[in-house]
Amino acid sequence: MRSWSKAMVGGMAVALAVAGCAGSGSGSGSGTSSAAPSGPRTLTVWLMNGSAPATLTDALHKKFQETHKDVTVKYEVQQWNGIQQKLTTALSGNDAPDVIEIGNTQAPKFASEGVLADLTASTGDFNGANWLSSLKDSGNWDGKQYAIPFYAANREILYRKDMFAEAGIAAPPTSRQEWLDAITKLKAKFGSDPNFQALYLPGQNWYTLLSFIYDEGGDIAKKDGTKFTATLDSAEAKKGLEFYKQLIDASGTKAPKDADEQTPEQAGIYGGGKVAMIVALPWEVATAAKSDPTIKDKTSAFPIPSKDAGKTAPVFQGGSNLAIPANSKDQDLAKDYLKLISTDEYQGQFAKAGMIPGTSKDVSALQADPVNAAMAKASTNGKAVPATPGWATIEAGQNPIKDMLTAYLTGAKTIDAATSDANAALNKAFSGS
Amino acid sequence: MTSTVNTVLPAGSPPPAARPGAGRRARRPLSDIALPYLMLLPAVALMVALLGWPALQVIAISFRKLDLGELVRGEIKWVGLDNYANVLNDPEFWVIALRTAVFTVTVVLSTLLVGLGIAVLMRHLSTWVRISLQVCLVLAWATPIVATTTVFQWMFDQEYGILNKTLVLLGFDSFKGHSWFASGGSTLTVIGLLVLWQAVPFIAFTLYAGLLSTPKDLYEAAAIDGATGWQAFRAVSWPSLRPLLMLVTFLSVLWDFKVFAQVWAIRQGGPDGQSTTLPVLLYLKGIAGSHFGVSAAVAVLMLIILVAVTWRYMRLLVRSPETEL
Repeated sequence: MRSWSKAMVGGMAVALAVAGCAGSGSGSGSGTSSAAPSGPRTLTVWLMNGSAPATLTDALHKKFQETHKDVTVKYEVQQWNGIQQKLTTALSGNDAPDVIEIGNTQAPKFASEGVLADLTASTGDFNGANWLSSLKDSGNWDGKQYAIPFYAANREILYRKDMFAEAGIAAPPTSRQEWLDAITKLKAKFGSDPNFQALYLPGQNWYTLLSFIYDEGGDIAKKDGTKFTATLDSAEAKKGLEFYKQLIDASGTKAPKDADEQTPEQAGIYGGGKVAMIVALPWEVATAAKSDPTIKDKTSAFPIPSKDAGKTAPVFQGGSNLAIPANSKDQDLAKDYLKLISTDEYQGQFAKAGMIPGTSKDVSALQADPVNAAMAKASTNGKAVPATPGWATIEAGQNPIKDMLTAYLTGAKTIDAATSDANAALNKAFSGS
Repeated sequence: MTSTVNTVLPAGSPPPAARPGAGRRARRPLSDIALPYLMLLPAVALMVALLGWPALQVIAISFRKLDLGELVRGEIKWVGLDNYANVLNDPEFWVIALRTAVFTVTVVLSTLLVGLGIAVLMRHLSTWVRISLQVCLVLAWATPIVATTTVFQWMFDQEYGILNKTLVLLGFDSFKGHSWFASGGSTLTVIGLLVLWQAVPFIAFTLYAGLLSTPKDLYEAAAIDGATGWQAFRAVSWPSLRPLLMLVTFLSVLWDFKVFAQVWAIRQGGPDGQSTTLPVLLYLKGIAGSHFGVSAAVAVLMLIILVAVTWRYMRLLVRSPETEL
């Protein structure tokens, strides 16, 4: 009995000591390989759920294995939910993955903290001349490239071909004025139905607002080295905001002014058949088709029009970057992997899957489907949110741009008060405290 | 099942008399004396490892600069009181702390009042009505937090919510398209109602248990003496409710002060950060911003506030576990 107690005490002491080690986070692991070791090696690749199609990764890994006989590719698909915490934990461990995919709004946070390998010298190997500029900006911190583009998507306007034809609209709008005219015509034709909405646009669809602000020549923030200053109180930003309100008023949309396009999910409302247009991503057609399978054939798309006739407005691009963690032990292999995945051959698969390739200018595969073609047309003029780690808080939920939209659209604040409040809140987030 | 459990020992009963063999204790072998402590040891060690050590870590981290970079590289950078200065010098922190305190006090008081009301009501209801009420309470209690939150979001929806539609139907036309989440105060009221809805069942059941332990003949005696309902409550129910009420107040303060899921799910602390409470601030600094040092400082400050508020109760708890609270 007594020896049993002793063993117990001993066991507890060991457990405590182990816990102590784990908690203090020992800092000895600076194990980057200087010379490539020989023998069998493993390359761990983390890509996100719903990003690279299986046809792409299968072919890619087969090819990679051919040139790297003794390397095993450990390919793991991660879920978006909780990925920040998972990456934080994985990067600080000794067993960090060798290639990771990060959302382009999260990339600056990782790039600025020096936890990713500097890839500036290798941009030429990764098809650097053909990079999508928005994703290039996302992965760039203080002049150095820490993450390379992977793929992106941008919003466009989905519309009902049948309704446009019935309302006598000959061609999709190519300027803001034509867009407003189309709304007037649609309302004249279908307005007798109280449930009809020419355009469904919730108050907090801030990605759409960004397009209008970019189109006026404005932006969310001005960059100076690594420092960002918010510019939402500029005349250009206010003009963009005014056009947003003009659209809401002209269309008479019943969408909530204090919610974004996810609550309720706008594709479901479009699928209900009483909405002629939504500002959406191409694959939202498939979501709408869940409510009404026939809607797919009735839907086409056009790019968000510019204030200048015949041009498309610049668009916000959401997407992903690829990076190599600084703690990765096989950075040479990881670079070979990135080199292969950024070639036109594999990037073309993204275009086939309906996404904008990040390191290839070949978007011909998108032309087959008019919904994808409209996205491709606007994609050359894409921008990203400010590449600052301060954006992480905004991304997490408290977005001053959304609050600004609701306050202005509901009349709770004047345009000057709304923009200057949002500007101050953004600057506070950028300052990172 | 109303009065079967009234055989509770009176609180001030004398301790059992010393056992006759107690005098011989000193002559027992050392191992016999050590045994009870050794048997306690695994539990104590486990508690220290699982509770004490993380708590110490949080306090230590609050004196360090620990952002994503430091965490990944395993650097230890001591910055003294910088994190605390950073938090305390932000005027926003004081607004949020005050908001959290007012929110906690309001929600705790209303939970207790509603819970007490339901507990007293249950004593007077006929069996079947009482059982259906109890089933409803258990269901409200057992529904997952996020599910209830979603239902509340639907009810309070601006365009499609059942609340606005009902109010318009009743003739209050100004509620057509009324946004319940347009200001921080209104948003926090909805969140408060949500927390209240989920907290009342536990309080009501606990207090009802207290009422059940009150001997029924005491009420009969009070009735014979001609006591009104209020007097009977004061003289008979109150003494048995008081310790329980103290306990649930203490627990409610702890729970409602720390509530995060509901606040975050409703509006992420918006609009304009006006429904941000301390736990939301902690999340924004720590998880969203990866400033783990600053967020640890917020956690320690929250702990200090909680200890200050519940100091009296904890002293009673530590000093005299057997006396009536």
